[in-house]
Amino acid sequence: MSEITNYLSPCSLDDAVRALADGDVTVLCGGTDLMPQMEAGQREYASTLMNIRRIEGLAEITLTGDTCRIGALTTVSEILTSQLLDEVAPVLVAAADQFASDQLRNAASIGGNICNASPAGDMIIPLLLLNAVVELASWQDGAIQTRLISLHEFFKAPGKTVRQNNELFAAVLFDKPPPGFVAHFCKPGPRPALEIATVSIGIGGVLEDGVFSDVRAAMGAVAPTPIRARRVETTLEGLPLNADNIRAASVSAGEDATPIDDVRASSWYRDHLVRVLTKEVLNDVLENTN
Amino acid sequence: MNKKTIATHIEKTTLIGQRVRKPDAADKSTGKTRYINDLVLPQMLYGKILHAGRPHAQIVSIDTTAAEQLPGVHGVLTGKDVAGLKFGFVRDNVALKETVRCEHDEVAAVAAETEEIASQALGLIKVEYKDLPGVFSPEDGRREDAPLIRGDFPGNKSLHFAFEHGDLTAAEAESDIIVDNVFKVHHVTHCCMGTSCAIADFDNNGKLTIYSQTQYPYNYKMDLAPALGMHPGDIRVIQPPVGGAFGSKLDVYPYEPIAALLAKKTGRPVKVLYTREEEFKSAPTRQPAVIHMRTGCKKDGTLTFRSADVLLDNGAYTSWGPTIPVVMMRTVSGHYRVPVIAYNAQAIYTNNPYAGSFRGYGNVQTTFATAQQIDMLAEQLDMDPIEFRLMNAQKPGERTPQQAFLRECALDKCLTTAADATDFVTRQKEYGLLRNSDSRYKKGIGIASSIHNAGGAKIHKSDGCGTMLKVDDYARATLITGASEIGQGIDTVISLIVAEELGIPVEHVTLMNNDSDLAPWDVGVHASRTTFIAGEGARRAAVKARQQILNAASTFAEISADELDLRDGFVVRDKEGSIVIKLEKLLRQMHFQPEPELVMVTDYYEPNSEPEGADHISNMSAAYSHAVHIAEITVDTWTGEIKVDKITSAQDVGRVISRAGLEGQTEGGIAIGLGYALTEDMQLEDGMLKNPCFRDYKVITAPEMPELDLHFIEDGCAEGPYGAKGAAELPTIVIAPAIANAFYNATGVRILSTPLSPEKVVRALILAQQADVSSSDSMATAAVS
Amino acid sequence: MMSLKTQINFKLNGQPVTVTVPVTMNTLTMLRDELDLTGTKYACGEGECGACTIRLDGKTINSCLMYAVDCDGREVVTIEGLKSGETLHPLQQAFVDHGAIQCGFCIPGMIMQADYLVENNPDLDRARIRRGLEGNICRCTGYTKVLDAITSVVESRE
Repeated sequence: MSEITNYLSPCSLDDAVRALADGDVTVLCGGTDLMPQMEAGQREYASTLMNIRRIEGLAEITLTGDTCRIGALTTVSEILTSQLLDEVAPVLVAAADQFASDQLRNAASIGGNICNASPAGDMIIPLLLLNAVVELASWQDGAIQTRLISLHEFFKAPGKTVRQNNELFAAVLFDKPPPGFVAHFCKPGPRPALEIATVSIGIGGVLEDGVFSDVRAAMGAVAPTPIRARRVETTLEGLPLNADNIRAASVSAGEDATPIDDVRASSWYRDHLVRVLTKEVLNDVLENTN
Repeated sequence: MNKKTIATHIEKTTLIGQRVRKPDAADKSTGKTRYINDLVLPQMLYGKILHAGRPHAQIVSIDTTAAEQLPGVHGVLTGKDVAGLKFGFVRDNVALKETVRCEHDEVAAVAAETEEIASQALGLIKVEYKDLPGVFSPEDGRREDAPLIRGDFPGNKSLHFAFEHGDLTAAEAESDIIVDNVFKVHHVTHCCMGTSCAIADFDNNGKLTIYSQTQYPYNYKMDLAPALGMHPGDIRVIQPPVGGAFGSKLDVYPYEPIAALLAKKTGRPVKVLYTREEEFKSAPTRQPAVIHMRTGCKKDGTLTFRSADVLLDNGAYTSWGPTIPVVMMRTVSGHYRVPVIAYNAQAIYTNNPYAGSFRGYGNVQTTFATAQQIDMLAEQLDMDPIEFRLMNAQKPGERTPQQAFLRECALDKCLTTAADATDFVTRQKEYGLLRNSDSRYKKGIGIASSIHNAGGAKIHKSDGCGTMLKVDDYARATLITGASEIGQGIDTVISLIVAEELGIPVEHVTLMNNDSDLAPWDVGVHASRTTFIAGEGARRAAVKARQQILNAASTFAEISADELDLRDGFVVRDKEGSIVIKLEKLLRQMHFQPEPELVMVTDYYEPNSEPEGADHISNMSAAYSHAVHIAEITVDTWTGEIKVDKITSAQDVGRVISRAGLEGQTEGGIAIGLGYALTEDMQLEDGMLKNPCFRDYKVITAPEMPELDLHFIEDGCAEGPYGAKGAAELPTIVIAPAIANAFYNATGVRILSTPLSPEKVVRALILAQQADVSSSDSMATAAVS
Repeated sequence: MMSLKTQINFKLNGQPVTVTVPVTMNTLTMLRDELDLTGTKYACGEGECGACTIRLDGKTINSCLMYAVDCDGREVVTIEGLKSGETLHPLQQAFVDHGAIQCGFCIPGMIMQADYLVENNPDLDRARIRRGLEGNICRCTGYTKVLDAITSVVESRE
């Protein structure tokens, strides 16, 4: 373990990304994942620990035109209680309700949750449905540069993302879904929330005159990263949402998923769950639009 | 108006069965209570243990040089420092190991000025291991070619227990129906919220004071002494408040002698406190077992015999835990009237974490089997399930084949109370008919019952409890007892009893029960014995004190003592309640008279029970009790989740003493039982625990807790205090089979192993469906182990 | 190994405090070891059990997962700050009265979370209380009396 020689708590994005540009920095953003990972020896501190909590403007949820922006420091509680999100993206609010406990929701930031890149990350699934993009800020040529990257391209492996060491996760953005868009999120388990998902699944789309279009599906804990379930999407796109097609989608879900055996479930059970939960979520979509 | 200032008469009231506040609750609610985990002594060092992290290995070499040289380190110990200091139930354990036999085995220990330095020092210890092939299940352990875990225990055989009664062959021949199943129960652990902790401190006369979480201080001295090469008399045990115990603190574990040995080596107090991960890996477990059980009955429903072959996973060392077959045997031979018994239990050493004692003590495991077989028989007989149970239920005055004397027996009342409260028979039929519907969610109702000792358990020569009681000049009573408080509420029970007898407020009773140098002998908090035995001891002491006071009052007031009573801080005339003298005043008069007397009494209560002998034929408890649970569940056949909607419990408690305390013990016991049945599972892979955290080891949380409907049957008990029986274990015991029976009712599928996890449920349902299709018999059922 | 330290200022149970803490220290350790507030408990260190629940700027958090440096400039309330003078807080009194306390180790965290629930939910029913306690493990009580105690406080408020 290397020694921390510097602690920073910048108040502006400028200062933060400048510090990142200088290299070797561990970013602290809430800490609910960082603290236990450090204590368990799964990660090591860089020479600088930078707490980004004080950065102005990073904890806001805004809607500009059709684009919704959630700052990295926004807590899961703030998402859960956001009127704006409840109107624009209720599926995100529903997932926030299934996230851990009050105590964790109050501390965990959306930026931390996404950057932690857990294959089971609860907030990631609805954001994938919303075609979200990630905004990364860095200091280049004497100014802040930002780049946008699609969320589904953001993850590389468990705990690994494409974020470079000199980049700060600034926000997650998504466009307001089209009119008539409905989406549902579901994770099983005896506890409503305090459960690392054995699998989680979200499906959304526009259901008009019985036909399902703009279908988006995403799954957690069935692959090394949260994934878009492309086969499910293709199976359903442009077709009536009826029992036969729901059954077909359920089969596709099994094909999209490549789960592993771990302490929480066997791959066999995960495979079973994605199939039945696909049915459940699609039935929910049907019920809630009729 | 204040009754006390103007009243001339005081009505007779009783505290027995009332809701009384737990004396330590206010401090616990404000964070003021200083748990052992919170204690810091001047000059105290922090001890940390290096665990092997492998299941079976020879230690080739250990180099502690770098650790010893680290600034802030005051002492390092390894196996060679404790050679020959064996401890444990069969003296097969030692505080620090030279051979590794399970993952958490203690290899070295460090005392340092801070926890950080101690942890860092552990990282500097170099150990070279030679890994050995391991044994990870009792089935594997007893194979002839199995690796031998200990040279001194051939065949990896640990403890063995057997009991036979009657002619099994004849009983089988006269049986019309025999059910024959293999049940498998799994590893779970206590999950005390306060992690394991000990603080050891030697004085300059060589006497050890150990601050401990033990729930059995006298045995603790006896068990700890050989691990230190000390005389038990030179050990003083102080018991600060603890964060739960549930049986886990009945044994001595290596971290405790390690704390003491480090304290001896450094000459300073040493505290060892586990992290949660260490707690999960090092804490004792409930014994996993494979139970081959057979039960027979005649066409008319009369039970004919029960046989049980039990194979237990002992783990790497033998604690008190592997004596659980003694309790298992009592259930096999006493749960309903079973005339012929064949019982055989063998514990096998494995390289798994080692088993300890855990609330329910073996009965949790056996009842999972007995109560399901009773359910199977009822169905195969096509008899009314309650009628079948009632006709086999033992009655007051009967004896079991092991000669357990059921002087009072309320099994029939427990059955009818629970069945009536839930309309059991009708609903069981209804749900059974809906079993084959296409519905995703299926409902089921299930019943289970068991028997447990409720008047102590005489596993030693003595099951007694010593009590001392003084009442001072201010009419404040102090009771000194060996019975420990571990959160279960004996403090409330005893305060209430003393207050009842002396007619003083409960708040005026102080309990001293946390110092082995002060308190007299007691056999510890276990076996649902404390209310019965320490409570009776307290009652008897209080009655003596009361008599002394009444006699003195009689002399002063010239009224016969028989006509006097103690109420609300006064001596009163019994019939009309008129005040004779204020109790405080009387006590001072007694003290300051020409022939002064103080109220200080002692009592030693030894329950009227017989020691458990080698033949297992004895009335080993002074009372027995039954409980019936009915579980109502909803099964999600898609995900396999079982939601428990409601638990209805009817339990023979003899008499309620502390009502809120009894309810709390019942509710908490049910929660632990639910975890066992559904969610808790120590996932071991070649002896290594894969889920040492609450995220993956799932204890029951508030949203999962079902609605509870508790019924206490109060038929009294001739020997217990005010007719009370012990009650804390049965609620944990009966849950899992009630749920398994409800699951069968809902789905027609039997699950014969714990836990009924979602994945296992889905597999069982799919397997049953396949069997169903292939046999084209719509009533076919499948059993899954 | 010496960890870098930094000085922080915050309000603790209504009083301003200044502490110098290692930058990697968690708030739970700071409270217990540096400030002698041992009412807040360690039981898992992973935010799963809630025994270390405190209020930070009015919201409940698991202090075991919160960096102590994150308290800088903020307002912290621990179980020791709940009682006013000699009187128990209504929730503390309700837990005592309803027999909701056995070993009591989880109770400080449980009461802190209960207080947050009561304060922030105008229509708090039993089902919502259950959900609200999902981050607090109790091994003794089976939660039933805990729910009774909190419900009684909600009812007396109405």
